[in-house]
Amino acid sequence: MSQIKRAVSLYSLQDEYATKRLSLEDIFKKTVEFDIEGIELISDQMIRGAPYPSEETVRMWRNLVEKYNRRLVCNDIFINSTLYRNRKLTIKEQIEMLKAEIINAHNLGFSLIRLVSNTDERLMEPALATAEKYNVAMALEIHAGMSFHSAGTGKFLLEMIRLNSPYIGIVVDMGIFCERHPRVARNYFRQFGLNPELADYIDAIFAGGSDPLRYFGRLNGEQAPYPEDFRALIKNPVDREYAIFSEGYENTPFEELEQYMPYLKHIHGKCYEMTEEYEEYSIPYKEAIQYLDSKGYDGYIATEYEGNRFVLLDECVDGLENVRRHQEMLKKYIGR
Amino acid sequence: MFDNYVFTKDSCKNVEADGKIIGFEIQTLITYYRGIPLSMVYSVEVGVDSIPVPRDMIRISLDRKEWFTLSEAETVSTYKWEYGEPLYIRILAEGGLRKGEHDVRLSISVWPAYYPMPAGGQRTRRVAIE
Repeated sequence: MSQIKRAVSLYSLQDEYATKRLSLEDIFKKTVEFDIEGIELISDQMIRGAPYPSEETVRMWRNLVEKYNRRLVCNDIFINSTLYRNRKLTIKEQIEMLKAEIINAHNLGFSLIRLVSNTDERLMEPALATAEKYNVAMALEIHAGMSFHSAGTGKFLLEMIRLNSPYIGIVVDMGIFCERHPRVARNYFRQFGLNPELADYIDAIFAGGSDPLRYFGRLNGEQAPYPEDFRALIKNPVDREYAIFSEGYENTPFEELEQYMPYLKHIHGKCYEMTEEYEEYSIPYKEAIQYLDSKGYDGYIATEYEGNRFVLLDECVDGLENVRRHQEMLKKYIGR
Repeated sequence: MFDNYVFTKDSCKNVEADGKIIGFEIQTLITYYRGIPLSMVYSVEVGVDSIPVPRDMIRISLDRKEWFTLSEAETVSTYKWEYGEPLYIRILAEGGLRKGEHDVRLSISVWPAYYPMPAGGQRTRRVAIE
């Protein structure tokens, strides 16, 4: 019996929210309708004034959580180190920002924050006392394109192991387990003139069991040159952009996760396109959940729909339907 | 990828003050998925009928009360441009847009911390001024 629990990241419904088709309360109602216990938030997205919201805003949020009886799983935070044009924020400044995020997460009712990829590992030790005081764990996102082998993530992982605290861990994004390049992305770039031969080349890399980062020898973040036959297919800026974005999908063997299982706090259930058969087009969820079950993972998987990026101009994003299908798929493989 | 959020439909209008048309205004949503301080807006470019508007004629505001030049906005780090809320963009040009149809282009980008490049979008709309 699987111990995995289901959640939804409100990121999935960002378009419905931005275009005012759904209010925050409507979104909570939908989580009840779809039988989703857990909520993941991006406070900068749906909490006005975050990380310093008014007391009234915090009360409004907590009332919704209570009224609809949801579990708060994770708040996704960002350190705005590019706040100023003429310099990057110092580590000291970034530490203060992180502390404010920890306190805000606590006030909103969370005991876990997700740190975005490339968050500086030097923030961890100085923020640890605040994390302990407010009982908020900090977990770096392991995201495709900046996964286990990238330089920034590597430094964080070493620091995490060195500090060995229950308040420091990782959030794994399922986009690191792509077996196929998302076809919604291919369709999106086609309208701007993407060379189909280039897209075929990338699809073939995945079909061969690899991914562009691995195939091009760029896994550690170094800009190794493209192979000659690939470079010849880049005919315009759209092709170049597509090639760059293709490195944002990884085909990581599940086994690479094993040594980090003790640090795994949460999982982003990435989906780009839920098919009519209620499967994710790129990511093998059945096998992934079997693997996680075999390692005894008992945390949440939060649906994170990202196909919203690839909706054609003036077409309507259907985050709700993708969330619904993704949850049905999770129920099937988790067993409840 | 955020083109759908750029240049809110029907938002382009001439602006009157003290009985005079002082310019025109456009609204846009953020080309990103969360709210950020105004100082992280990287670029705002406007064009009318293929002619670019000079940068110093552009003002931006979150509430239509306090307006900033693009240079000033680089230091406006305590005002947050909320996700799903408009940024108001004014082009100060006496007389505004002339009567008739115009192709107005808006291009905007923000620079989030962990992105290798600014995240932006653009859109041109055919605008009718009566």
